[in-house]
Order: sequence, then structure tokens, then C-alpha cells
Amino acid sequence: MKIRLKWMAAAIALGVSCQAQNIANVVKQGDAVFAKTCATGYCHGVRGGPSGAPRLAARGFNQGYIDKVVRNGVPDTGMASFSTRLSPPDLVAVIAYVATLNGIANPDVSMDGAGDATSARPTLTGEAARGARLFSEAVRGFGRCSTCHEVGGFGIPVAAPLAKVPATAAELKGLATPDVKTGAMGGETMPVLVLSQRKQATVFYDLTSAPPVQRNAEPGSLKLIDGSNWRHTSAIGAYNDSELAAILDYLRAVVKP
Amino acid sequence: MRFFTVLSTTVLFTVVTALAQDAGATRADWPHYGGSPYSWRYSALDQINTSNVKSLTPAWMFQTGDYAENLQATPIVVDGVMYVITAQAHVFALDAGTGREIWNYRYPPVPRNIPGFSGNRGVAVGDGKVFFGTKDNYVVALDQKTGRLAWKVNVDDARQCGCNITAAPMVVKDKVIVGGTGGDGAHRGYITAFNTRTGRLAWRWYVVPGPGEKGNETWKGDSWRFGGGSPWLTGSYDPALNLLYWGTGNAAADFYDTERVVAGADKTKDVNLYTASVVALDPDTGKLRWHYQEVPDDIWDYDSSYEVVLLDRQIRGRMRQALLHMNKSGLTFVLDRATGEYLGSFSVPEVRTWIAGVTEDGKLVGRNEPVMGKATSICPSAAGAKSWNSTAYSPRTGFLYVPVNEMCNDITPNNHPADEGKNYMNGDFPFKLPAGRTTFSHVDAWDPVTGKRAWSMPYKYVLLASMLATAGDLVFTGNPEGDFYALDAKSGNKLWSYQTGAGHRGSAVSYSVNGRQYVATPTGWHSSVVGALAQSLFPDQDWRLGSTLVVFALPEGSR
Repeated sequence: MKIRLKWMAAAIALGVSCQAQNIANVVKQGDAVFAKTCATGYCHGVRGGPSGAPRLAARGFNQGYIDKVVRNGVPDTGMASFSTRLSPPDLVAVIAYVATLNGIANPDVSMDGAGDATSARPTLTGEAARGARLFSEAVRGFGRCSTCHEVGGFGIPVAAPLAKVPATAAELKGLATPDVKTGAMGGETMPVLVLSQRKQATVFYDLTSAPPVQRNAEPGSLKLIDGSNWRHTSAIGAYNDSELAAILDYLRAVVKP
Repeated sequence: MRFFTVLSTTVLFTVVTALAQDAGATRADWPHYGGSPYSWRYSALDQINTSNVKSLTPAWMFQTGDYAENLQATPIVVDGVMYVITAQAHVFALDAGTGREIWNYRYPPVPRNIPGFSGNRGVAVGDGKVFFGTKDNYVVALDQKTGRLAWKVNVDDARQCGCNITAAPMVVKDKVIVGGTGGDGAHRGYITAFNTRTGRLAWRWYVVPGPGEKGNETWKGDSWRFGGGSPWLTGSYDPALNLLYWGTGNAAADFYDTERVVAGADKTKDVNLYTASVVALDPDTGKLRWHYQEVPDDIWDYDSSYEVVLLDRQIRGRMRQALLHMNKSGLTFVLDRATGEYLGSFSVPEVRTWIAGVTEDGKLVGRNEPVMGKATSICPSAAGAKSWNSTAYSPRTGFLYVPVNEMCNDITPNNHPADEGKNYMNGDFPFKLPAGRTTFSHVDAWDPVTGKRAWSMPYKYVLLASMLATAGDLVFTGNPEGDFYALDAKSGNKLWSYQTGAGHRGSAVSYSVNGRQYVATPTGWHSSVVGALAQSLFPDQDWRLGSTLVVFALPEGSR
């Protein structure tokens, strides 16, 4: 019995110290998030000091208030909502960090209520992680998937949200695009993706070159013909097959049918 | 025959020169961000002049209703219609004589998870359209007559690049050309051109060259990927040379260069091209024609994105097609605008600690670089000896009019790794006022040929509004307390002042409708970024926000 108690005390002590260690780690992570996201000199100052935006350190904020402001932003000020800009762990971490700047030694670092479904990004590994990078790789300019597709909170939603992920790179290249039509306007024909057709105007994407241009056509000025010479394979021509396979791995991990 | 060649060359030269000098001024219209594509911010109108300016009075005002931020836009005036844009991209076409609204267009509210500041420095007008950039990084074209959306195109995903567009675009021939922000983050800056009619991409020029491109060797490892350099303001254009001029931003990381500078790099030569430079591009293709780097290894956040003033002047006995370009340090370069040859320089702030001086051939001497782990006092500050608000140049006086701020900052670098689109300044840089001063800014007149200051009028706070020069020998600008005022262009004496009710952070223009000259100024103090930083130095001051256009003229019948 005595031994058991001793063990229990040790276990509790261990639990407490694990918890303390966890808080310390989360706060450290929050410090890093704060440095690159909030302490931008023109916004908040380093360690919550004053700068272009108000001082955050030693303001007597409670954690609930910090949580609310970080997630929702402050209307009509430069303070944006970070609920989807940061991953749930980063949100919790930065909120905890700002709490420590306000004298809260042991901030709540639980993930309860953290983030929402749209911002939950699964942890990606291997090829899927490589695919995620390739999907929106800046060095590719307008020759990247994210020029026309929004996935995981990045990219421009020119195309409708992905519903089904092709099985292979070959399938991805040969993708049928029945929504792309041929538009004739002002003596010129172009591949178009129609967004809306209303009395006042037809709104469409001109897919002649990347990036797609959203254009408005006066009533009657755009003639639509089914079919187009536009091919998905040209849009993704900057990727090789191995890269396309990695991108498909990524899409399979994040696109929920 | 030989005589004939000489003669015709002389005639041709004279004509070209005359063209350049005529094209610098504006008249009835104010067609471009900088007035003319030469960016003088000078109006040839002289109805309002030194003898009658004391009678100047408000003719009309326009409340934009968008009070999210101040009104910073340079109004554009074409054929009696004024086009002005607010911080949240509400665009108005107004009768420039009365302020009557002709049409308005409200860009849809930008989702709150889009990073960046709300602010817009103006529209561009051309090819029957009104063009502007947005916080979520679109270039938008409206029909000039109706205000209806013609096209919009995304320049880059703002959530990924941490970049957007606050500058006015520029129309050159059949292209609309735009620079972007993001150079204080892990981002690779660029200038992008779109076809005015269709919105299709014409070209993109990356400030930071990629692998295999000339200049990439001035970057360590793959630091070029996030090298900054964002050209976040508006360029100039010389139609005779067919050259587009643009200033480029600071290298990133701003205050920590170990990751981006090749060990042992010679800092009297180009480092981290083409950041902190003036570049001349072919506007048809986006190809680089020449560059001049002003701050090799910019480790002070002295980006050189500011306006490029094109002018023809006699320099050391020879007529030169020159340009004037000031970067944030206040060091102002005089270059041959055909070749980029260095012709001279002058430094406008009175307190300067970042360098000891400049050699005869334009090299920086005695660099005072911030050191990792300690605070180094650097003057002027990263807010700039001048902020983004523009200078003005008058061909009548030959002076460049400059609003100069005297601020310093204590820079403490750090070495956070690059994270795409996130802050990559890598330093703390609290602002402070220089020791022993009682005034913190001055409006100056500089002769760019002699590099001498002709006059200087001190002001107790900071000055963050653009200058406007006119043929009436007047210089107009405003201060954060809300005063909009006119100075004598020759002496700097204050001749007239009007309290507009809100601070000045925008750019005034002059134009005429039916023979009546107007001076229009946006009002409203800037509540974020440098405006807020500046105000934090003067906590007892209540500089009022707002978003109102105030337009002055001489009283009817008094002309």
C-alpha cells in the first residue's frame, strides 16, 4: 500500500511536470508564431511591446479575451481574424504566449474549441507533403495548381471545388472539362468558364492564358459554343509525372468527397 | 552633308529635350499618379499664385463614407472627371468642378483572414478604364464611363505570399503595370503587366533573379526565393526612350543578412540584386534594360520603392536626360536615365548615422550595420527620412520639394528562419526622436544639380503627406494636425493655410475645369503602420482620422 501510494505520488508529480513541460513547449511555439506573425514591427512590437499596433504585454488581458480577439480580429482596425490563417495548434500557442505576457503563468493550452473544421489541416508526410508544396509552389508563378484551384485554404477558386481526385497522373492530364466552352466576343474566340449569366452581364473566366481573367460581357456580346480546345494537360504542363503523383497523394489526403 | 547631320542632330536633340520638359507638367488634367508619367507632381496652372493664394477657399468637399482607414489616394482627373479610391476600394467618379457623384463602385469586402493593411494610393485611368489594385491582390478594371466591372485578375494568393497591392497601377500604352507589397515578409517581389483590354498577363519581372539569371549569383544559396525587393509603389515612364522606371524594395530578411549575403561579398558592388535599386525596364516586354543599386546589402530597411522623377537638366555643362531618386535613407541619386550612369547624389536628413558618406562615384562609405544581439542606433529610421508620400519638382525654380522626417531607430536583429508569406524583418526597431532636437521634420527645397538645400522650413511633428508644386510658384502640402498650406516655392515662406479638420497622409493635386483652377487634397490621418508609429511618439496629440476630399479654388469672380 505504501509502495502504491508512493508510485501514485510519483505518477501525479510526473503528470504535473509533463503538463508544465507541455505548457512551456506550447508557449515557446507561441513565441515563434508571434515573432513571425504578430511582431512585424509595423504591427505589434517584439515580445508584445508597442509599435504600429497597441502594446499587448502587461495589459491585464485574460485568456478568454485574447482568444476572442485573436480568432475574430477587431473590426475596422488592422487586427485581422487569425482563425483560419493559423493552424489550430499555432492559434492555441500564440494565445497562450500572449497570455504569459499578461502575467498568466500557466495558460490553458488545451485544444478545446480550437479552430474550425475548415482550418483543420491534417498532418501530411512523405509524398503528400511534397504534393502540398508543389500544389502552390511560388517559384512556378502562374504554372501551379493554386492558380485555378483552392485547396486547404490556399489558391484561387477559379474552378469549382474538387469533388473527386483522379487516380493517376495520366487521368489528371486527360481530365474532361465539359464546363469549359468556347466564347466568341469582339471578333475573338477564347476558352471560357462561365460563372454566371444574368440579364445585366455574363461573368466568365477567360482561360486564354494563365492566370485566368474574370471578365464581364455586356448582354448579347458573348456567344457560347459547347466544347473547347482548352486542355487541362497544358495548364499542368510545368509538372512532371512524379510531381503530379505527389500532388494527387496530397489531394487524396485533404479532399473529402 | 556633315553640317546637315550635325544640324539635324541638334534639331532632333532640341525637340526631344523640349518634349521631355513639356511632358513633365500637368495642365487641365491630372492624368497619372505622379501628375505626368515623369512624376513631377507639378501643375503648369498659375491662376492660383503667390499674389492671390491668400484668397483660396473651399469650393467643394466629398465625404467618401469609408472611414476604415484614411484617404491616401492621389485623385486622377481626366476631362473634368475626378476618380478617387478609398482604403477599402470604394471607387468614385466625381464631377471635378462640383463634386457631384457620377458613379461609384464598391469592391466586395475582403475576407478578414486576408493579411495586409487596408490602404489604397490611387487608381490609374487609360484605355477607357479605371484600374486599381486590392488588398486581396487583384487588379481590377472598371468601365470609365459607367463604373461597371470590366475584368479582374488575381496577381498572387495573398494568404500564401503575404503580399497585396496598395500602390496605384500605371498605364503605359496597352498595358496596366502594377507593383506589390510583401518585401518585409518571406516573399520574392515582382512587377506585373496586364493587357488593358483583356486583363491577360503581358509579362512579369521578378525583382530577385532566379537560378541561371544574371544577378542570382549575388544571393547566398536559395535565399533568392524569399529575397523581398517588393516594388510597392508606382513607376515612371519616358515615352521618348520607351523606358519604364521603378524603384525596388529592401532585401529580406530586412535586418539580418547572414542567410542572404555570400560570405566576404564586396559591399561597394552590387549585393542582393535587384533590391534597393532603380531599374529601367522595356514596358513592352518587361526586360531589364539597366539597373542602379543604391543600397547594396540593404540591412536598414531602406527600400528604394519611391517615386522616380524624370527631368532634363544641365549637369556639369552638359544637358542630361536625368532622373532623381530618393530611397528611405534620404540619399537621393541623380542618374542618367538612358544609361543608369551615376551623376551625383545628395542626402536630405540632418541626422545621419547609417553611413559616413558617399564617394565621388556614388559608393557608400563607413557602413554602420546593425549587429546581432545588440541594439544599434540608426538614423534615419526604417520609417524613412521620407515615407512613401511623394516629392514634387518645379521646372521654374529647379528645386525638388521634400518632406523630411528626422527619426532614428534602435535596430536589434534576430535570425528567425524564413516562412513563406510571414514576417521576415528579423529585427526589433523601436523608433525614437534624435537626441537634442526640438523639431522632427522639415519641408526642404533641394537643387538636384548642385546638391544644395535652398531653403528648409522646420515643423515640430512628422510630415507624411506628398508635395504639390505649381507654376504659380506655390508648394502645397499638409500636416498631421490637419493644416493644408501653401509655401512660396522660392523662399519657403508660408503664404496660406487652412484647417481641414483631419490629418494629412495623402497626395494633393491641381487641375482645372472650364478655366477655373482647383487644388484638391485627400484628408484623414493614417491609423496604422507609419502613421500610428509616428503618433506613438507624440501621445499627447490627437491627430484626427477621416476620409474626405477637400477641394479649393479662388472665389468665383475674383479671378
